[in-house]
Amino acid sequence: MPQSPSLSASGSASPGLARILFRRSEIGLVVALLAVILFFALASDTFLTVRNLTNVLGQASLAMIAGVGVAIVFISGEVDVSVGSLVAAVAIPLITVMNATESLALGIAAALALGLCVGIVNGFLAAYLGINSLITTLGTLFILRGGVYLYTGQKAIPDDVMLESFFQLGNGRLFEVVPYPALIAFALLLVFAYVMRHRTFGRKVYAVGGNPEVARLAGYDVKRVKFTCFIISSLLATVSGILLASRLGSAVHVAGLGFEFQVVAAVVLGGVSLSGGVGSLFGAALGVLILSFLSNGLGMLDLATEWQLVITGFIIIAAVGFDEWKRRQP
Amino acid sequence: MTTDTLPARKRGVSLSALTDNSQIVLIGLLAVLCIGISLAAPQFYSPDNAIAILRQCALVLIVAVGMTMLLVAGEVDLSVGASLAFTGCVAMDVTNRTHSVVLGALAALAFSGAVGLFNGLVVTRLKINSLIATIATMMILQGGVYLYTREAVQNHHLLDAFTAIGAGYVGPVPIPVIIAAVIFAVGYVTLRFTLFGRYLYAVGANLRAARLSGLRAERLKLLAFVITGLLVGVAGLILASLMNAGQPTAGRGFELTVIAAVILGGTSLAGGRGTLFGTLLGVLVLKIVDNGIIILRWNQDLQMVVPGLVIILATWLDIVRRRNDAR
Repeated sequence: MPQSPSLSASGSASPGLARILFRRSEIGLVVALLAVILFFALASDTFLTVRNLTNVLGQASLAMIAGVGVAIVFISGEVDVSVGSLVAAVAIPLITVMNATESLALGIAAALALGLCVGIVNGFLAAYLGINSLITTLGTLFILRGGVYLYTGQKAIPDDVMLESFFQLGNGRLFEVVPYPALIAFALLLVFAYVMRHRTFGRKVYAVGGNPEVARLAGYDVKRVKFTCFIISSLLATVSGILLASRLGSAVHVAGLGFEFQVVAAVVLGGVSLSGGVGSLFGAALGVLILSFLSNGLGMLDLATEWQLVITGFIIIAAVGFDEWKRRQP
Repeated sequence: MTTDTLPARKRGVSLSALTDNSQIVLIGLLAVLCIGISLAAPQFYSPDNAIAILRQCALVLIVAVGMTMLLVAGEVDLSVGASLAFTGCVAMDVTNRTHSVVLGALAALAFSGAVGLFNGLVVTRLKINSLIATIATMMILQGGVYLYTREAVQNHHLLDAFTAIGAGYVGPVPIPVIIAAVIFAVGYVTLRFTLFGRYLYAVGANLRAARLSGLRAERLKLLAFVITGLLVGVAGLILASLMNAGQPTAGRGFELTVIAAVILGGTSLAGGRGTLFGTLLGVLVLKIVDNGIIILRWNQDLQMVVPGLVIILATWLDIVRRRNDAR
């Protein structure tokens, strides 16, 4: 991506292979991921088994799909924290429509329709009305969660028709090995990484996030680009919500509480800057994988589950701190 | 003087400071809410209800004073909710062990002050974006509080003084309201009239310029984090006293309420803009909405939906008003 104006502005002057490797934060993330895997492979007998590794991939895929969307919004210079409530909200139209029509396709369509509406509202408020996106999406985070509580009366809505296809979506495995959610996550990651790197739209997102004023003078429709990013983010979070509902087997009103923090932490850990224009989707995906393997590995050691949170917190600080330190080096 | 160039200074310190035009929208909103609710439910204006609202406001306002300073300096703290719960547990536990309210209160302040110091050091020394740093602290505290205590820390000491902190009265006024009023007054004077306060605006508005003019930006931010931490300690102590227990699950979502109130009050997330008077209005609006939902016997779950709508609406009205002013 050296052609990106925003990246060259952040300073990648002299070549040299070692320096390039040092600068490309993805390499550092891969090393960190391998270190995490190696550590737990040595520390636990059951960690490095196909079953466990694919389990982690399945679990990570939900945060990864939503993370891709959140990363795109971050790169465009905005923030989206509404995903935590959205994953719970989309399960309601999904399950109720499926219960009424016994059709998975109609259920998914209904869920995507809700996701699209939320994306349009977020994007309209933040991009066109110019309301700070953290406020906007904090607002929709509240509204959606409250809406879910109101609609469900704080009870889970059970899946009455029990479609096999719906169950397989979140719990099935290709050749009995690779979980379908991981395949979906990987496919979406590749598609959007391609778009962000090689299509005009992706380059526009980097330009808009890096310097909106320059992007506007260059003739880009800044508002429209940001609007589209919010819609992408909401639709991807909807996909996460559908897979989560399939895993839970119902529309659970408390699903996804705190999910937004988990996703934001992973995406920032992956080197996507909160100030816009910097970062890559592969980095974001690696951030998600690191946190997922970490929490799985810690769960395998005989530690109280609460240690997971504590250690993850310290690792985020250490990793982001190291990244910042690296960036300051001449 | 660098401070002369600050927008907040230009507005002057006269009466106009109170009806600062960015707050007209909020004052209007507050009036509409009060009139609307009292028409539908006359008991809204009873002294009991007014005191209930003020007591509800106290906790949020105490922490919001610190959060306003942080946002003015261009930083944010998302760990206040988790820290609030943890501090409450620490306060109750230490009071149980020592049978001394003073020691319990000191332990709570020491703990929450240390959390603030940790946040401040991570943000200013490691240069980590405060949003992400304090999400990490939030995780550490949420995990840590369960390692500290599996269940609520019950009140075994039965000291009257401890209960009085949250539930006591001086005349007709609840003690938490008095504490909040004092903290608000001190915070208001600090932010508006002291060098420290003016420097926070300078640092938040333009970090480079502030550094070049010789301000020790890192130290100022660190201090703002510690102040926020200490105020969380005060709030945690009051909360433990009110609930008569240290609840590890308390404070979920508290950070979002506080930030919503501060932003609603016109403080900019980008730093350098905002007043504590606006924060007070923001807290009042959110808590009167909450109260209205309860006394109108609406579904309590609306307590999440309506504030969400109010924040977005108020911010939008502010943008519209500013655009009209600019013309």
